[in-house]
Amino acid sequence: MSAPTLKIEDLKLAFKTHRGLIEVLHGISLHIRKGERVALVGESGSGKSVTARIVLGLLQQMKTARIAGKLEFEGRELDRLSRRDRHQLRGTKMSMIFQDPTSSLNPTYTIGVQFREVLDRAKPGISAADARLKAVEALADVSIHEPERVLDSYAFQLSGGMNQRVMIAMALANNPSLLLADEPGTALDVTVQAQTLRLMSTLAEKHHTAVLFISHNLGVVREFADRVYVIYQGNIVEQGPTGALFDNPRHPYTRALLAAVPRITGGGIPDIAETTDDFFAPLAAHAGFSEKELLA
Amino acid sequence: MPSLIRLLAKRLGTSLIVLIGVSLLIFAIARVIPGDPARIALGPNATAEAIAALRDRLHLDQSFLTQYGYFLADLVRGDLGTSLYTNRPVTSDIAQFLPATLELVIIAGLMMVAFGLPLGILSARHRGTFIDHAIRMVTLLGVSAPGFVWAVILMLVFAYFLPLFPIAGRISDSFTIPPVSGFLLIDTLLAGNIRAFGNAAWHIVLPAFALALSGIGQAARLVRSNMVETYDKPYIEMAQSYGFAEKRIARRYAFRPSLIPSLTIIGLDFAAMLGNAFLVEAVFAWPGLSRYGVAVILRKDLNAIVGTVLIMSALFLIVNIVVDLLVSIINPRIRLSQRAS
Ligand SMILES: Nc1ncnc2c1ncn2[C@@H]1O[C@H](COP(=O)(O)OP(=O)(O)OP(=O)(O)O)[C@@H](O)[C@H]1O
Ligand SMILES: [Mg+2]
Repeated sequence: MSAPTLKIEDLKLAFKTHRGLIEVLHGISLHIRKGERVALVGESGSGKSVTARIVLGLLQQMKTARIAGKLEFEGRELDRLSRRDRHQLRGTKMSMIFQDPTSSLNPTYTIGVQFREVLDRAKPGISAADARLKAVEALADVSIHEPERVLDSYAFQLSGGMNQRVMIAMALANNPSLLLADEPGTALDVTVQAQTLRLMSTLAEKHHTAVLFISHNLGVVREFADRVYVIYQGNIVEQGPTGALFDNPRHPYTRALLAAVPRITGGGIPDIAETTDDFFAPLAAHAGFSEKELLA
Repeated sequence: MPSLIRLLAKRLGTSLIVLIGVSLLIFAIARVIPGDPARIALGPNATAEAIAALRDRLHLDQSFLTQYGYFLADLVRGDLGTSLYTNRPVTSDIAQFLPATLELVIIAGLMMVAFGLPLGILSARHRGTFIDHAIRMVTLLGVSAPGFVWAVILMLVFAYFLPLFPIAGRISDSFTIPPVSGFLLIDTLLAGNIRAFGNAAWHIVLPAFALALSGIGQAARLVRSNMVETYDKPYIEMAQSYGFAEKRIARRYAFRPSLIPSLTIIGLDFAAMLGNAFLVEAVFAWPGLSRYGVAVILRKDLNAIVGTVLIMSALFLIVNIVVDLLVSIINPRIRLSQRAS
């Protein structure tokens, strides 16, 4: 079997602060196969965003971050790559979608100009005309009916939902193998969010792009993920296929989480104020879904 | 771009109103300063008839509004009256002295931009490091003293103790350059005299730098703080996630958006140089509008005072209009809202 798109092994992260070292990730392992949609769910501060940023190599630049563990991307160990090769992956082989689309776009350039910058990553020196053609195509893919008008607009002239589509189109324009979606569109209206997520999911499938889908929203996870990792305070506490995990949660934290969610609305992750010792119980993997078994 | 033209028209309109206000004000103030302009102009031995004749010629015995009316009527014809101090039309005096001041202020403004912006960018890109701390220290020094203090210090150090630069003047006396634009840096080139150009440039370095120093400091600190703030915006992380080069992110994603709030204040600083130039000119015996301005105020030379102030105000307004245009060019929000309204 071919190497997984992303494999994280025993990833640890701590931040050096004036109050000493604060451990944020205590050795998490996860992987995503080619084209697979994997969700990483957990409460606020559990370590979801930092995980995605480490995969992209953004946190490594921070002087206060202490990172250990192994990251493999398409069978290549990322830490062994030269700085240049590692940097080369960003925006070409991996890309990221952020929470608030409108504030994630540069307010002083039009969408078209920014789109060209993104395309230039995969095809350095791409001409304005070629970039425009490709951008129009990519925007049409996310069901934008007037791509020309959108390209000549600034982010603040477009609706949040429109900007979210633009972000999705940009993120997938270079055909990446991995899309990191960090609570995409949480800043948007719920129905708009669902629409754009559906778009993202369909497109990722079309491009055979694997997705690491970070979310607060269990309802959304249930709809979009093939597999789920539940993270609690820097540890993965449960993993399994989406259906099995939702129907039969095994870890005390996951159970508490699912029990607390209003099933029908399928809203956001509730903050579970009391912490019991069982929340720190060892990882519960559904049969056939431990990292070892899956990667065997 | 029609939206820019509309903006320009609007600003010119308001500027005109401001100028009329300024002229009324200065016209009144100049007449409130104690002393009889005619008596001062003619000296202590003048006869009562001569004084009366001059007062009559200047309409000094008529009501304030009538005087202002005469003034406006002349102004429309491009006539600012005659200076009692130089006995020449005020417009010729201004045409003679203004270029020296403008040259000084423009070079200082260029220095402010050429040094201030890169220092600010460098500081922001290396925020929290030694480079940042060093730049912030130096720029703090720059803003800590006004231009004329720097003028004295620079002159003492670099012209007096270390005679690297000339102490005073715009150009050495050995050069005679036919005035065309009044800007020596241009006229020397027009005359094809490279050595004279070098000499003029050499003369302007210290006064311009003294005038620019606090502006450089201010611009650098402003650019730094606005840019550091911009570095926390989500679109920076987005740019990093796409692997854009660090330099490109600094320039297009951090600097450019941060320039919008910085530019207005940098423009004000530049306009303020017009005023600060007065004292710097005094220190370096720079034959600009300042010496003229001080002399005419002391002599209660009404026409010259009003003319000088009006020209200075007009320049101030022009600088502000230019800044507004620049801001609207880099800030699409303003540009587009202009089009909509
Ligand atoms: N630069 C940093 N310095 C110190 N601590 C940090 C830093 N960045 C993140 N942390 C800490 O790391 C922990 C994990 O942060 P992270 O942003 O990954 O949380 P998250 O799971 O994405 O939460 P949310 O759902 O709120 O986005 C948090 O406790 C946070 O305070
Ligand atoms: Mg997060």
